[in-house]
Amino acid sequence: MTAQDVNFDRSQLGVGYPGGTFVVDKDDLLRYCKATGESDPLCNDEEAAKAAGHPALLAPPTYCANFVRSLGRPDIKLNFGRIGFHAGESIDIHAPIYAGDTLTATTGLKDVYTKTGRSGTMVFVVWETSFSNQDGQKVADVQESHVRRE
Amino acid sequence: MTRYYEDVELGDEIGPLEKIATDQSVSDFCDVWGNTGPSRFTDNESAQAEGLAGAIVPGIMSMSYMAQLLTQWTEGGSIKKLDVVFRQLVSHNSPLRLIGVVTDMNQVDGENQVECDLYLQNEQGDRMVGGQAILLLAIKG
Repeated sequence: MTAQDVNFDRSQLGVGYPGGTFVVDKDDLLRYCKATGESDPLCNDEEAAKAAGHPALLAPPTYCANFVRSLGRPDIKLNFGRIGFHAGESIDIHAPIYAGDTLTATTGLKDVYTKTGRSGTMVFVVWETSFSNQDGQKVADVQESHVRRE
Repeated sequence: MTRYYEDVELGDEIGPLEKIATDQSVSDFCDVWGNTGPSRFTDNESAQAEGLAGAIVPGIMSMSYMAQLLTQWTEGGSIKKLDVVFRQLVSHNSPLRLIGVVTDMNQVDGENQVECDLYLQNEQGDRMVGGQAILLLAIKG
């Protein structure tokens, strides 16, 4: 099977959508740090962060990836496979994210492709999301790849 | 203490960082993530209903561990890019070892870039998550 054989809404490829607005909540940041064992004082101690020249608590580098799950995305009507997994994730960091920031996301379907291995054919779906802060500054680009297997 | 670009050499090891994703920590992560309720991440029965051996660690939680490995190593530097591949499902409550190695160094457009390969291994040494990163370090004086 090749990508040409995969049934999905191809009109969605390359189309950007508003993904939503997300507030970087201080309490959520602290809970995230506790859950992941992030001990960096800049992410846990507001005084330490400010003493180091930051305006507020610093979000850990991959924090905005948490928002991807809540993005408003269209249904691409992919008709393949009975189970899906997260295959990979890439983040390009352009600027720090801080507690109190409001991030705006735009998201879009980048690619759909197939691979065939020992376990059969797999279909990979790649989404791209850009996050900008309240000042219009781009803070991160996140690319996720999800795989569906038969 | 800061790790400076001049102090890094190709082949330098990064880490190791030892982590265990306990049932509680994964549950707490999922709460913040907004993925609440029984799921393949928090509940063994739900995971097994999907054909998995047991509850698994979310990929982005493993990725956060990778980021910790790097920020601890850079000692004041930053991550420019982190790219990970989730090769195998990561189980709860098992020792995880994160390591890296410096593979390239470049001074580009005013940035002091250090490239590295990264791995998250289980107790048996299997590479459950692989990745690459570009880090930015300061230079002395």
